[in-house]
Amino acid sequence: MRASPLRHVLAPLHPRLEVLHGMPVALHLRDEQPGWAGVLGVCDLSFLPRMGLKGPGAAAWLAERDIPVPAVPNRWEPLPGGGLVARLARSEFLVEDGFPGGPVTGLAAQLQVGPGVYPVPRQDCALALTGSALTELLVQTCNVDFVAQDAAARVVTLTSMVGVSVTVLRLPADGRHVVRLWCDGTMGPYLWETLTGIAGELGGGPVGLDSAFPDRSA
Amino acid sequence: MKILTCPVNGPRPVSEFVYGGEVRPMPDPANTSDFDWADYVFNRSGIPGVKVEWWYHLASGTWFLAERDTVADRVLRTWLPGEEHP
Repeated sequence: MRASPLRHVLAPLHPRLEVLHGMPVALHLRDEQPGWAGVLGVCDLSFLPRMGLKGPGAAAWLAERDIPVPAVPNRWEPLPGGGLVARLARSEFLVEDGFPGGPVTGLAAQLQVGPGVYPVPRQDCALALTGSALTELLVQTCNVDFVAQDAAARVVTLTSMVGVSVTVLRLPADGRHVVRLWCDGTMGPYLWETLTGIAGELGGGPVGLDSAFPDRSA
Repeated sequence: MKILTCPVNGPRPVSEFVYGGEVRPMPDPANTSDFDWADYVFNRSGIPGVKVEWWYHLASGTWFLAERDTVADRVLRTWLPGEEHP
């Protein structure tokens, strides 16, 4: 069974758990309020399967498997089913499944150290930040306003948030503000505590998957 | 806030970067004198002026070069190693 890097900070919140993609996922937190996700919700998405690879042959390796490859660094492309491919550098990629699943398990089984291709272990803390008060959170925690970015441009930003190196992108979400965020799993509890603390001051807080993504299809 | 421009990630506050030292040609350790090798290992030039330096963007793991006027503390240009000096 996989385990979220945030399991120890989620446990005191009395989550209602369900196993998705081999990991217990907090669908609902006992004390969360109905409006939090709309104001400022912080949701753990570490359960989504993901993989990393890098090397001068990484782009060709993905393209040979019909995975859309972002043309330039710091851009991402969507995958069928809600997953994504992010180009983190000239020759490094992050692939993540959507809620129903995706190609990651199959790709990871094929990925070996080969000519110009190297696996990158991804044990990220993955979060989603939602709500209308996102800008207020960002000005307190980092130097980039992701809300101001055009979601259609599919920009990936690698920056620091409260001292933690993070990878961030804004999802197109029908008028909602939804930002996806990844950081090293060991820094996850600190980032979670800090973000949910600020969210609480702004009228939001930690939320389960059902609140953050009520329309998810899995 | 001081801003430094990463050639990959764009303008960012200097708190996202680490200074990697001035770019200095390394003498061939097999053919250089002990004096010149010790000078390369232990001594640094403190003379102010326009220098080419290594910088590292922490969030993305990007090493790059910056030409900086250390008198005015002004970065003149930045570029990736292996790319042509802009």
